[in-house]
Amino acid sequence: MKVLVAEDDPDIQIILRMVLTRLGKCDVVITYQGNEVVPLAKSNQPGLILLDAMLPEMNGFDICQALKADDSTKNIPVIFLTARSMPAELQRAMALGAAGYLAKPFDPMTLVGQINGILQPLGASIGV
Amino acid sequence: MVRSTWKVQRCLFLQTNELGELRVRAADEGIASKSSSIMFIPAPGSPFARCLKNNELIEMNTAITEDSLASLLNEGFKSTQKYLLVPVTGEARVLGMIILGPFEQSQEMRSKESELRSAGALCAVLSAHWRLYDWMSQFIPQVNHELRTPLTAVQGSIDMVLGGMFGQVGSEVKQMLEMAHKGCERTVRAIEDYLHNQQPKP
Repeated sequence: MKVLVAEDDPDIQIILRMVLTRLGKCDVVITYQGNEVVPLAKSNQPGLILLDAMLPEMNGFDICQALKADDSTKNIPVIFLTARSMPAELQRAMALGAAGYLAKPFDPMTLVGQINGILQPLGASIGV
Repeated sequence: MVRSTWKVQRCLFLQTNELGELRVRAADEGIASKSSSIMFIPAPGSPFARCLKNNELIEMNTAITEDSLASLLNEGFKSTQKYLLVPVTGEARVLGMIILGPFEQSQEMRSKESELRSAGALCAVLSAHWRLYDWMSQFIPQVNHELRTPLTAVQGSIDMVLGGMFGQVGSEVKQMLEMAHKGCERTVRAIEDYLHNQQPKP
C-alpha cells in the first residue's frame, strides 16, 4: 500500500519512513508542507494518509476538510498522528471525517498494529 | 446588567486586539448566537475608530455603518433614533466598546457619561479575563506540541532499538535504554497531568 505521510519534524519523518517501509511493507511518500498534501493525495492516490495537525502553510484540520470535499480523495482514510492530543481537537478531527487519531509520542514497534486497528473495519490493512 | 440598567433593546460588547480588529465578545440573548462570529477592522475616521482612538463616547445619529453589524442592528432602526458607542477602558488604554441602543435622538445621554463609562469599566474586567482565556487556549496546545514532538523522536528511536529492529543489543545497553525510555514515559505522564489540570474555562 502507498502511504502519504504529512509530518514536519525531520526526525519523526525518518522513524515513520523506517517503520512503514520495514514493518508496514508500504511505499511511503512524505511531505512537510501542509499545502502539498491535497495535490500529492490527488496525484499519488495513496491507500492511507498519516496527517500531523500542525504543519506549515496549512493545518491538518483544513487539509482533512479539503481532502473530504474532493471526490478524488474523499475515500482515502486519514489518520491524525499528532502531538495535539486535546480532547476537543480529537473530536474536531473525527467530525471532519478522519478515520482515527493516534497521539504522539507513539511506539513505532506497535504503530502498524494501531494503524491496522483503524483500517481493518474499513477493509484495509498494512504490513501484509 | 448593562442592558437592563439602561433599558435598551440591544447591548453588545466588542473587544479589540493588537491587530486593531473588533470582535463581538458578548451580546444580549436575542442576537448572541448571530453576533459571536462578527469581527471587523473599523474604517479610519468611522465612529468605531474614533471611539477607540480618542476614548470618546460617540452618539451615532445614523444607522450602523459597519456592514457586519448593520444586518444585526439596523432592522427596525428609525431615523429619529441613535446608538451609543461607549469606550471600554482599562490598563490605561481602550480595550473595546459597548454598543447600546437604539435610543431616541431626543434622549439626552451626555449627562450620563460617567455612569456609562463605569459600565465600560466593568466590561474591562471581563475583557482581561477573555484575553487570558484566549492566551491560554493557544499556549497550552502549543506547549503540548512542542514537548511531545521531540519526545516522540527520542522515545520512538529507543523503542525501535529495544524492539530489535536493528538487531539484538547487549544487556548493559538494553538496561541504559530502558532507563531512558522510562524517563520519557515519566515526562509524557507529567505533561498529561499538567495539561489536563490547566484546561482553560471561558
